[in-house]
Amino acid sequence: MATSATALALPLDRKGKKEEDRELVRLSQNGTESAFEELVRRHQQRVFALVGGILHRPEDVEDVAQQVFLKAYLGIKRFDQRAAFSTWLYKIAVNECWDYLRKKKVRPLVYEADLSEEQVSRLDGIASSDRPPEGPNARAEAREVLDRMLAALPEQDRQLLVLKEMEGFSVQELAEILELNVNTVKVRLFRARGRIMEVYRRRMDAGKLANSAAAHKKG
Amino acid sequence: MSIDPQFENTACTKYEAVLEDYLEGALGAVESRAAEAHWRDCAGCRAALNQASASVRLLRFAGPAAGPGPAFARTVMARIRAAEAELAQTSERFGFWQPLVKFGWRFAATATVLLGVLVTYDAGWGRHSQRHPAGTAITGASDIFAPDPGNPPANRDEVLMMVADTNHGN
Repeated sequence: MATSATALALPLDRKGKKEEDRELVRLSQNGTESAFEELVRRHQQRVFALVGGILHRPEDVEDVAQQVFLKAYLGIKRFDQRAAFSTWLYKIAVNECWDYLRKKKVRPLVYEADLSEEQVSRLDGIASSDRPPEGPNARAEAREVLDRMLAALPEQDRQLLVLKEMEGFSVQELAEILELNVNTVKVRLFRARGRIMEVYRRRMDAGKLANSAAAHKKG
Repeated sequence: MSIDPQFENTACTKYEAVLEDYLEGALGAVESRAAEAHWRDCAGCRAALNQASASVRLLRFAGPAAGPGPAFARTVMARIRAAEAELAQTSERFGFWQPLVKFGWRFAATATVLLGVLVTYDAGWGRHSQRHPAGTAITGASDIFAPDPGNPPANRDEVLMMVADTNHGN
């Protein structure tokens, strides 16, 4: 019962937020600076997540996210509100990320392929546990280990998995932001899941093999 | 460089999107039952679903990356104000000269077009002249009235005689 109430409350909540966004956009278009600041506050977390998911370079995320909001501010008078503000903003963010990567001629950060002994055991702990790691440090560590694993995937698979599973974007949102068909997103996501588990299995096998070799040497 | 792991997809192609929906809990009761009936008989889809379910658990445990700091919105607004001030300064600096600059650009564009037309015309004329170089097709006509450089007519009568001779020749 509680689940269905939550499920009903969520779309209503989102609808309400969209209406508020529309009003804030209208005010921003009329030059009310505080209304745009409120829009920044509402969407900063997701813009950060999106930019971080694509760039995969934490040191550049803040700068690019600021640039996204600056572009949105400069273009808000031309925004006709046919799409949701969030969709429009996320598209700006995606374009800004591609521009940034092209201009700087950088590739998204790629970690070394192999995991350390400690990381293998941490990964093992994450996968076999039924509960998420407790505390921000444990979560950040888990994230780092998973980021290393995700780096072995093709870039598009990595982005989809990060945005969907870690940053909480819906399939519909991803289809709109990345301008893909909803079904295409679903199929790509499903295949990416298979790939990441394949990487996981290999890393674990390699890690365990290395650990047992080290133990054998010591013995 | 990203490495594509040699992944063998075992799910039926037409069920991949359905499997993703199933994982998300986005299928209705009837659709769910139909899907479950399929992978009860399809080992490939069953294996792919198990794999995908494990990935959901693995990835969701990591949680989102660190978000912006508390001062982010203020920093953004400060950057916006700075950009606006810069824009205003630029338009103020060039505001007086704006009509002249506009005129200059239009003049330059018109001049370029005219120059292009002239160059094209000249090139065309040059080709035309090369096709009929002096002394070939028009030679006959120019010879009619051209005085013989070795024996120029001495008086008016000689000139008239020369013209008369030419007409007889026709």
